[in-house]
Amino acid sequence: MLKRSTGEKVFNIANIIFFLLFTVLMLLPILFVLKQSLDVGIQGELNISLIPKKFSLLYYEMVLKEESVYRPFLNSVYITIVGTSSSLLVNAIGAYTLSKRELPGGKFFIYFLVIIPMLFGGGLIPTYLLMRALGFIDRFAVLIIPAMASGWYMILIRNYYWSIPNSLAESARIDGAEEFTVFFRIILPLAKPVLAAIALFAGVSFWNTFMAAIIYMRSPKKYTFPVKLREMILLQNDKNTQEMEERLMAMGLDLNEIAVSSDGLSSAMMIVSMVPIILVYPYLQKHFAAGIMVGSIKG
Amino acid sequence: MDTATTRRSYKRNQKKILTRTNIMLYLMILPPLVLYYIFRYVPMPGIMIGFQQYGLSGFKYWVGFRNFNVAFSTFFFWEAFRNSWVFVAFGYLFVTPSPIIFALLMNEIRIKWYKKSVQTISTLPHFITWVVIAGLFIQLLSPSTGYVNLLIRFFGGQPIFFMSNAALFPWLFTFMRIWKNVGYSSIIYLAALSGIDPQLYEAAVIDGASRIKQVWHITLPGIRNTILVLVVLSFSSVLAGMFEPIFVLKNPMNRSTAEVLDTYIYSIGIIQGKFNIATAVGLFKALISMFLLFLANFLSKRVTEDGRSIL
Repeated sequence: MLKRSTGEKVFNIANIIFFLLFTVLMLLPILFVLKQSLDVGIQGELNISLIPKKFSLLYYEMVLKEESVYRPFLNSVYITIVGTSSSLLVNAIGAYTLSKRELPGGKFFIYFLVIIPMLFGGGLIPTYLLMRALGFIDRFAVLIIPAMASGWYMILIRNYYWSIPNSLAESARIDGAEEFTVFFRIILPLAKPVLAAIALFAGVSFWNTFMAAIIYMRSPKKYTFPVKLREMILLQNDKNTQEMEERLMAMGLDLNEIAVSSDGLSSAMMIVSMVPIILVYPYLQKHFAAGIMVGSIKG
Repeated sequence: MDTATTRRSYKRNQKKILTRTNIMLYLMILPPLVLYYIFRYVPMPGIMIGFQQYGLSGFKYWVGFRNFNVAFSTFFFWEAFRNSWVFVAFGYLFVTPSPIIFALLMNEIRIKWYKKSVQTISTLPHFITWVVIAGLFIQLLSPSTGYVNLLIRFFGGQPIFFMSNAALFPWLFTFMRIWKNVGYSSIIYLAALSGIDPQLYEAAVIDGASRIKQVWHITLPGIRNTILVLVVLSFSSVLAGMFEPIFVLKNPMNRSTAEVLDTYIYSIGIIQGKFNIATAVGLFKALISMFLLFLANFLSKRVTEDGRSIL
């Protein structure tokens, strides 16, 4: 064991305390919003406790009951499920072609799918005009179809295919199996780990769909959850309270005992938006390394 | 058929591109190709709108560089341009070094479970969308109910109107960027740190090097390359990814220091319907990004060990 000087001991303790404070700083915004989402108590002046004064699931109930809130939630669930599964299918199949090193035109695919799109693009307005011409405005297709294929995901999947021993596919070919069969029967079942990783990354990004929805979706019925959330966040707190109280009276609650605000509702929405991410987080963590590689592998 | 002809026909088959197998393989990559063609390539010629008089009804006539001149003579364009670069500068000054410092300090923590818990918690925000992060901070910093102002008042101070203070905004935004990404970005540095040969440290200890000296002479040189590569790679995307956070955080009070090119293009294009001006600004931004990508590509050949480039 190495001897440690006093200076080092002080440093070690300071370092541990630093990370403790750091962790508090990381958690504070989330804990504060969690508290707000669960608290309907009338806040006294300067109540700095993070424990709800009057615990209630009222705001979460509102998320479930208010159509203007649960509709965007269901929309996001829908595009996440459809988008992730279709994206997985398209990229997994396409990546198989990319994994064939001796296939004529293989280099062209890398240029077409990765390198040229990295250099050139139409930009916001020409893309918007295309979507308009396709009749995609205000349709969920605009949030799913353009985001389905991804050159980067395909490269990541391809690299995994490369690591699968060739002998398995070869023996199937000798038995007379065609490429489709080789792919679906042998390669795809063996590629589960990378497909799980891609499903998680694609899932998170579909769940967080925001910019495209802001640009292309018009009717509030078709908002995604983050778009609705932004609307709630930007509402002026006091302006909304009256509307909120009317809603609560309709729900049959005694307004003298509780204090509600749109802050509480948007807090609950933020928590709801984070829950799926936190649920898949342990699995995401397993694939961190792969995720970092997405940005750094060359074709 | 003798063996020679068999061999010849086999060879010919090998050269043939459209074998049954290859056709199957091409069919398998067809969907991504079509999707990329429609959604990435079809809009490309649309940049010509930047050189046209283009109304809601479509093309009217060519105007040369007039749209650019109109944009360049607008105060709000330069404001957005300046803010974009302020955020880039703040990014390199504070956001880029933060995971390096985080990893260096984290590397000194010897308690395994502690290390792991801190890492798990600090990596989570990377996967949370900017809308929620912005929302969290807007709530946290609210002058009336936000926790930070509660604390300030608890200790007898006056509440600060964080989100409506234009001078404060670049700092707040930088803080949020660090908060969101420090844990995730540090993973790659921690991996590089764990790859440093422990014998180097042992030798240094025998030579009587202090902890600080070990960091300076062994640890930092050990991750120097990782830092260089990541910094160079980041050149290619400096202006990207600012739409979401700014779109949520921007308000009439802080707009003057918050608006960036991406949100500016959105408001003049989609909201005001000036497609030609918005396309011109977008094209201008794309040219800068392309220049930076080529620069990153050129530099990456120098900083990577095997002379690998991005493109």
